[in-house]
Amino acid sequence: MTITRQKGLTLAKEIYTDRDKCVRELRKESKKIVGYICLYPPVELITALDLVPFRVFGNMREPITAADQVSTTVVCPFLRSIIDLGIKGKYNFLDGIVGAHTCDIGAGLISQWRDFVKDSPFTHVVDVPHTDNPSSVDYFAGQLNSLKRHLEELAEMKLTDARLIEAVALHNRQRQLVRDLNDLRKPESPLLTSVENLEVMVALFSLPVEDGNRLLEEVISEVKERKDKSAKKKARLLMWGPVFDNTSLYELIESTGASVVIDDTCVGTRAFWADVKSPYNLNALAQHYLVDIKCPRTYRQSKPFETNRNYDKDLDSRFNYIKKAIADWHVDGAILQSVKYCDTHGYEVPNLRHYFDTLGIPSIYIEHDYSERSLASIKTRIEAFMETQG
Amino acid sequence: MSAIAIPFATNQKRGINRLKSVYPLRTLVQQDYLDAIQAASEGKPVVWAMINWWEGDIPLKAMGLNIVYPENYSALMASSGCAEVFLDAADSDGFPSHFCGYGRTTIGYSYRMMTELKGMIPPEVPLGGMPKPTLLLGSGLYCDARFKWFQALARYFDAPQWCLEMPMMGTFEATEPDLETYQIKFLVKQLQDFIAFLEKLLGKKMDWAKLEELIDLAVKIHDTNWQIHELRKTVPGPMHSIDFWSSMPAALFFAGDMKLSLKRLQDMLAEVQSRVNGQIAAINYTERYRIVFAELAPWHSLKIFDNMAQRGWNFVYESDPYHAPRPPDLSKVSDPAEKLARLCRNFIFNVYPFAIADNIANPITDTYLRIAKSWKADGFFLHPLISCRAATANLRSVQYLAQKRLNVPSLWAEGDIIDKRVFNPHDVLNKMEAFEQTMDHNRKIRKSNGLDW
Repeated sequence: MTITRQKGLTLAKEIYTDRDKCVRELRKESKKIVGYICLYPPVELITALDLVPFRVFGNMREPITAADQVSTTVVCPFLRSIIDLGIKGKYNFLDGIVGAHTCDIGAGLISQWRDFVKDSPFTHVVDVPHTDNPSSVDYFAGQLNSLKRHLEELAEMKLTDARLIEAVALHNRQRQLVRDLNDLRKPESPLLTSVENLEVMVALFSLPVEDGNRLLEEVISEVKERKDKSAKKKARLLMWGPVFDNTSLYELIESTGASVVIDDTCVGTRAFWADVKSPYNLNALAQHYLVDIKCPRTYRQSKPFETNRNYDKDLDSRFNYIKKAIADWHVDGAILQSVKYCDTHGYEVPNLRHYFDTLGIPSIYIEHDYSERSLASIKTRIEAFMETQG
Repeated sequence: MSAIAIPFATNQKRGINRLKSVYPLRTLVQQDYLDAIQAASEGKPVVWAMINWWEGDIPLKAMGLNIVYPENYSALMASSGCAEVFLDAADSDGFPSHFCGYGRTTIGYSYRMMTELKGMIPPEVPLGGMPKPTLLLGSGLYCDARFKWFQALARYFDAPQWCLEMPMMGTFEATEPDLETYQIKFLVKQLQDFIAFLEKLLGKKMDWAKLEELIDLAVKIHDTNWQIHELRKTVPGPMHSIDFWSSMPAALFFAGDMKLSLKRLQDMLAEVQSRVNGQIAAINYTERYRIVFAELAPWHSLKIFDNMAQRGWNFVYESDPYHAPRPPDLSKVSDPAEKLARLCRNFIFNVYPFAIADNIANPITDTYLRIAKSWKADGFFLHPLISCRAATANLRSVQYLAQKRLNVPSLWAEGDIIDKRVFNPHDVLNKMEAFEQTMDHNRKIRKSNGLDW
């Protein structure tokens, strides 16, 4: 597909700025666009059925107004923003939307979408177990089979093994390319800023996988050839938390002279650390999404049937992938961010900060209401945190 | 609890006509807490469990374990006026103040117990308190907090944990033909794993005959409970929401001895039936308005319901997720684990066919609309909670669709289950007169539309 004459980082910024431009064009070519919320609806199934996956985000700049009719103010403002945009018709280019029980409000959002968003011909919510033991994986595979059957109706075609294998390979290629992109921030002077990184990531979630992979190859090539190396950063930070799909927070941090060099967020690395394992089938997808993606929405223990529990051991078993990232990216400090009313992430914060303490990594927790205006007060806190970093 | 100043006479007779049979039921839960303290003093295990809609309760009881329920206990702390200190303690330990009031109270309680009091029970709490847990049993059903907050308690207790599973899905996804089969298979395996875990933890085997006996008792308890609440459709309503909340532990988590619970619920059924026969209302005033309450009550300010009863407001139904539905027919199921799986699954999925028929994607919203029709509600009292997403998220949908489809209006009163600082009873009482006019107006519209209430 020819999206635009732009390439690489310029193209990423263009898509970041106007996310639905490409998929609206694709729709004119009779492609069906399937929106999905959060990381848990397997995009491979959408791609394999010749549908275009499009990750649905909110809009931090758009005041929430229409959602007030059907949604209370004490739930996740990110999800409220999505239903608000849906009711206002701003996702009218979607042929359907898929959600998952990643959190209670997220699952309920799809019901709201069906009940209150006009022109929503296809909705589906996948039930995701809370635990990651083998019977939960089996159950989740059954849920993916239900999704597959429903998507087949939308696509008006049957999913073949060959198509699924091809789609998984393409998405695994994307996972590898994202890991390669992340590696460009390992040097003492990161080759890529966190703002640029987020623009690329948001663009990936807005494009068919083949176009996303091409974009990643261009960006990696472009960045590797950069002549003007950035200065050594005042601090190398890790960002943790749920969705943050707007560059404003990263711009704010970069303005202090620090840089976010790695993240554990669901617009960043979280979906890309691990590949779907072979053989590529629904069970492999279930295993990947439920077990390999490390989101706090899933209840994990250091080992199943554990009758002798130890707090520190438990924390290490749940978060040691972050410890590895801290070592590999030479992280000096951590910013834990969460959108207000996010229970799955919020309950982790005191324990995760304790874990960072044990690693000698200073941390700060900031909470926002998914609006740009809330960042003004956060700026002061981040500047104060940076002061403590010397 | 601070006294509530009400804008009308205080020397009137009591508003609510309480059921006498509710008091023996209420003592069951009180006894559970006292028994847990006694068990701990004898070195026996004590479980802290989330409300789990019977999936964990019955196996735990079959293993002879003492169970306390922090959600229920937090409500007790709120009603006894001692919760705020624990809310503040949770805040000080880094937990956001908009988290579940039950969770924050329990976290604060645990923090105070393990950090400030070196393992001793805080002296200011009611019924002797909750002793240190041997096991933390979370549940993924209904809200994320109910397994995440127990996971967070690991910073205070090294007690082992378990998280129970229960499928929750959209209305229309539940029409898949093979869904029930593989959900039951999943739940049976989960129960087998849970029981194996309990056996390993306790060093003894499950008494499967006892488990089956308790499942059969559970079915009888739920059936009796269901019959009671069906009678509440009668005009005037014979049982007030306050009596439901006081008695609900008997069917919600099988407080006390289950045989005794069944007997006492049967007594309650007889009393409610006699009120129906005698057309005796649950309030001591003429029933002017029939109100449905959603979802969780302001436990710190229950006195307000008496004030509302004095104006003829009868709360005829409430808090639907805390009601046990009519149990399924399990007579052809022989495996106790499958029996339990089917009993529990029915709690979630029994309402789905109605939601499909009504073309509403959220089954809880649809349930409230059906309740409004069946219980002939004049209005909803909606209580959105600052600290509870699960009990609040769909209330706007209920409000919107109840008005649009049924001409049943809603009174919107923000508050909290625990934190009385964010609930203003004066504001609620001041809104009553205007809301009565709204209900009167909508009653006329309903009748002109051919509806029968």
